[in-house]
Amino acid sequence: MALESISVIKLRDLLLVTVPPDPDDETIAALQEQVLQAMARHEAKGLVLDISTIQTLDSFFARTVAETVQMVALMGGRTVLAGMRANVAVTATQLGLTVGNALTALDIDRALDLLNATPSGKLRV
Amino acid sequence: MNGPHQSEFRITSENDIVMARKVVREASTALGFGLTDVTRIVTAASELTRNIYHYAKSGVMHWRTLNQGVRVGLELSFEDNGPGIADIEKAMEPGYSTGEGLGMGLPGSKRLMDEMTIESTVGKGTTVIVRKWLKK
Repeated sequence: MALESISVIKLRDLLLVTVPPDPDDETIAALQEQVLQAMARHEAKGLVLDISTIQTLDSFFARTVAETVQMVALMGGRTVLAGMRANVAVTATQLGLTVGNALTALDIDRALDLLNATPSGKLRV
Repeated sequence: MNGPHQSEFRITSENDIVMARKVVREASTALGFGLTDVTRIVTAASELTRNIYHYAKSGVMHWRTLNQGVRVGLELSFEDNGPGIADIEKAMEPGYSTGEGLGMGLPGSKRLMDEMTIESTVGKGTTVIVRKWLKK
């Protein structure tokens, strides 16, 4: 089956990635690779992973997200997970999952605030 | 047909993990589970289906509705003819994995469901059965 399409949007010096609703393992792995390539290509300072359409956050997905956060950190960027649904948060916690050092935000708006994107496109450290 | 509904689903490829989630989502939603319980059941199914795919390569998931007096529930069973689990107690410890996983699949699925039983024979295969009861 074809990979679900992943959109990586450059927003000033940040990347906005919307995770498709029910990704298979291959799509999740591809997402990680695309994100890292885009981080390097755009010299991005931060990453917002929009997971608001995600219905199932299982251990494979959580591990890949945690890894991606770590890799992005090594490339000098910070990651915000945005929009996790309440039912997914309950389930992920009971399953025993963590998402590494990711920052989290209720929605993309707050995620951008968190990454401190200023109009000049500079990140305050 | 008013009897218990049931069906089976073969797991042979990675994409079947996604398909299994869909099947289980539909079955548990149709049975009347709320969104959070549906998410719990689907997530457990995702973990257990992935275990089959990774450790046994192929297997079967059966699901059926349970009617015990006034209690209504959903049962999922995951059967494979894979290598089996040598030490089930150890496999139920969070963080323990013989593969590349996080070691969350079995203990986590148990927490997400109401009941779990595991039968496994090394060299023969594994059957994991989980149940979730509808709360009235």
